[in-house]
Amino acid sequence: MGDLLYAFTEWLRTTWVNNASLAISDWKLALWLDTHFWAIPIMQCFHILAISAAFGAILMMNLRIFRLAGTDRTFAETERRYVRWVWWSLLVLLISGIGMTIAEPVRELVNPVFWIKMPLVVVAVLVSLWFHGRVMRRLATGGTAGPVIKTVAVFIIILWCVIMLCGRWIAYAPV
Amino acid sequence: MNPASTSLWDKIEYSTLGTTIAESTWMFPTLETIHVICLVSVLGTIFVVDLRMLGWTSNKFAVTLAAKDTLPWTWGAFVGAAITGGLLWVSKASDYMHNPYFLLKMATMALAGLNMMYFHFMTWRTVEHWDKDATMPVAVKVAAALSIILWLGVVFFGRAIGFTLGIFGS
Repeated sequence: MGDLLYAFTEWLRTTWVNNASLAISDWKLALWLDTHFWAIPIMQCFHILAISAAFGAILMMNLRIFRLAGTDRTFAETERRYVRWVWWSLLVLLISGIGMTIAEPVRELVNPVFWIKMPLVVVAVLVSLWFHGRVMRRLATGGTAGPVIKTVAVFIIILWCVIMLCGRWIAYAPV
Repeated sequence: MNPASTSLWDKIEYSTLGTTIAESTWMFPTLETIHVICLVSVLGTIFVVDLRMLGWTSNKFAVTLAAKDTLPWTWGAFVGAAITGGLLWVSKASDYMHNPYFLLKMATMALAGLNMMYFHFMTWRTVEHWDKDATMPVAVKVAAALSIILWLGVVFFGRAIGFTLGIFGS
């Protein structure tokens, strides 16, 4: 696994990503973030708080599907309570994530785990768009949660855990 | 055993468990990953109850039900975070005990625990009088606000540890 990831890093070094990351590190903003000790930890705090809000909201909605939480509410009420927290949190995750990438462009962009994490984030957003746009709305109008919906609900939780795993392992990628 | 290890923290750090974690390439990051997933679950579920107690969300639903829905997950995840955090601590016990942000994180968590206990044993006794109210009594709002502020502090100090470990003399 380590060798495979290292080969991925070596390949990334031969692509445009390498020059792009070096170019970004010359930006005024990148230099400012890099020379202010608390900039990166504070952006990471926002990133952690936003994923907490998003993950908490997703967990509560999915527990509602399994009737393990929020049984005093309808699906429509559950959706109204939590779904906006997911989207606003994703916006904060995006902004803080971009900030962290500008602060340490080479560490993030020339990193195999970063490029595994990003497609997973895209998949998570697309699945969530479908899940909350169609599935939850159908449940809100009186449908029942069948095995497919329940499986997807578990899959979404696992997917976000894997995304968090990737986020942590960016720091430990073989580069 | 390291010859220079005389303090209790050194003894813990150089224990078989401590050196096993410290010398492994994958154990520390794996424990950190579980720690992150657990703490994210703790915060996410705590904020659900805190926001209800502030009267900002879910106002027409009972506070007791919000607590019942979230608390098993909060406690389960907290136990996971405590176990993984304990193992991370063992592997670098001496460094952590000399790091002011680690000590601040522990102190802030202790305050969050005291806030929770005061709320649970004092304020919660009258819960049936305000359980379904849209506007909460001041004591409830203060407990919720303190909870949010203290947990934000725990996150900040936790992150600060990672950037300062080893720069304070041990």
